[in-house]
Amino acid sequence: MGRFFAGLRDGVGFDILLVTVAMIFLVAMAGLPLIYNVLMSFQQVDMFTLGSFIRPFAGIQNYIDVVRAPEFWLVTRNTVIFVFFSMAGQFVLGFALALFFAQNFPGASTIRGLFLVSWVMPGLVVGAIWSWILAGDFGVLNTILRNLGIIQSTVFWKSDPAFSIWAVVIANIWLGLAFNMLLLSVGLAAIPRDLYEAAELDGANAFQRFWTITLPMMRSTIGAVLSLGLIGTLQQFDLFPAITEGGPANTSTVAQYWSWQMSFQLYDFAKGATISVMMLVLVLFASIIYVRSTRHEVRG
Amino acid sequence: MTAQIELSHIQKHYGSFHALKDVSLRIEKGSFVALVGPSGCGKSTLLRSIAGLETISSGELSIAGKTMTGVPPRHRDIAMVFQSYALYPHMTVEENLTYSLRLHGVGKAEAKAKAAEVAQTTGLSQLLPRYPRQLSGGQRQRVAMGRAIIRNPKAFLFDEPLSNLDAALRVQMRKEIRALHDRLGATSVYVTHDQIEAMTMADWVVVMRDGIIEQQGRPLDLYDHPVNRFVAGFIGSPAMNFVEAQIAEDGTTLVLKTGERIALPRQVEPNRAVTAGMRPENLTIANGPPSFHFTIGNIESTGSATYLTSDDGALQLVQSERANRAVGDRVGVSIDPAQIHLFDPQSGKRI
Repeated sequence: MGRFFAGLRDGVGFDILLVTVAMIFLVAMAGLPLIYNVLMSFQQVDMFTLGSFIRPFAGIQNYIDVVRAPEFWLVTRNTVIFVFFSMAGQFVLGFALALFFAQNFPGASTIRGLFLVSWVMPGLVVGAIWSWILAGDFGVLNTILRNLGIIQSTVFWKSDPAFSIWAVVIANIWLGLAFNMLLLSVGLAAIPRDLYEAAELDGANAFQRFWTITLPMMRSTIGAVLSLGLIGTLQQFDLFPAITEGGPANTSTVAQYWSWQMSFQLYDFAKGATISVMMLVLVLFASIIYVRSTRHEVRG
Repeated sequence: MTAQIELSHIQKHYGSFHALKDVSLRIEKGSFVALVGPSGCGKSTLLRSIAGLETISSGELSIAGKTMTGVPPRHRDIAMVFQSYALYPHMTVEENLTYSLRLHGVGKAEAKAKAAEVAQTTGLSQLLPRYPRQLSGGQRQRVAMGRAIIRNPKAFLFDEPLSNLDAALRVQMRKEIRALHDRLGATSVYVTHDQIEAMTMADWVVVMRDGIIEQQGRPLDLYDHPVNRFVAGFIGSPAMNFVEAQIAEDGTTLVLKTGERIALPRQVEPNRAVTAGMRPENLTIANGPPSFHFTIGNIESTGSATYLTSDDGALQLVQSERANRAVGDRVGVSIDPAQIHLFDPQSGKRI
């Protein structure tokens, strides 16, 4: 260990300066807020103690209050639906598109590039556009479905409790599709062509080649995409204020939006912090999976 | 003999590039055929067309009597050993070997037994539970071979399988591949750019250049009777010497640029320019009257052989005796006139 550090030293202290700047930035911008947030979840916080660091200790009372809150299970259910179906939609459609664009047809890479447009658009703008598309009375989606004869009466995507969470899921799938497709495309491109040729000569049809070559070779990429997808979905905030504002009656409120509502609308900062700490544990879990999956690289 | 693979008038275009130009080839059952030529000559394209990995633009291809045009590779019952080996990195050696069997629904126990048997023949028995990344180059090569053998296919295709191995291993694998071919009674098509591999391994050598077959035949026939200057220069190592010369009025005397005259054992068209080809190993330092002279510019000795190169670099001579000569010596060289190959200077065709 001593030799390791000795190898990094330059002897005049410039190295220490560089490391210090990075560390100060990391501690100030990420470390302290994180600790502050975790600390707050174990304290009684109100508008009068907002500015102080040491506050009355609350034990796990905040956690008990959050779990006992009447909307807790509804929000949990919504979060599970939102995370699972957003990720599933993004991943399956993204994989399908990645496979499609991996075929060599004229313009394949150009069109794939155009898909990135959805990625550069701000979430709020995407939310606003989908809000119009999904609008009950004048929305494009309803018009199309009605003309195709799939629905008879108007579906109020954003204000029907049965559909409100799905409205955000649909918008989020669209938003995350390009990212999934891009990462999976890179993974596909890294699989040597001759493996497919060898498998083809060994007698594998297209479906068997996908199952026995593509999927196992994509293991680490898929692990990365899924864990980044989980983090991205738990982070997704912009779409909620733009489309449903969590309503009606919390039927489309998810954990991250609930946490924001607690802190910045109800000014119950302790509960807001508590919810975010609970989410942090989930994200940590995803990060561990991500790190492990990239460690298990299987390449010739 | 029956033909196992038959190609007639195969054409292949990549856009404007004409990769295979009217190639016809008959590969007998049980034979070992080498496709050899410089890079870009179309030999790999031809091999991949047989496998079905490339579609041919026109022409007829049949394997074991069945027309294969338009048949996908997996229905051609052909095994291929790739230059990169193309082992499945996420499967163990055993899984690599049994992959094709499992695809064809062979039972687990039977596949395992078959893998053990193939591992025995290829010397992989100890390595079955390993992954390809844990193997050396030579071991990977064997797995690639084993994967081909296990299926008992109608033909084996080899695409420069030894080019990633070091020289000593290459010589050893050359013998092993040939021995395996004989033991299995297989039909093999072997692509290489190394004429020594082609000469030592194959029963039948096909020399290609620019998408056409320049010459095909038994290895020694190609060596003894190359049909043109390209084949003459390509087959044999070190390469044949070519000198510009003239035929005298009598039609039986070769006149070198230096004015030295060599009597030919046959009559050719008099008063014409020719390219005379002489293999370095056919030239000897003369004890009696020499055919011609040259000045030594360079001497290289490997211990078993000595390579003498003329000062203008145009001529090389190989002898098995140690050279008691020095650079700058003028030596008399003799050659059996029957071993002089004559080519047309323009077309390169054999005269």
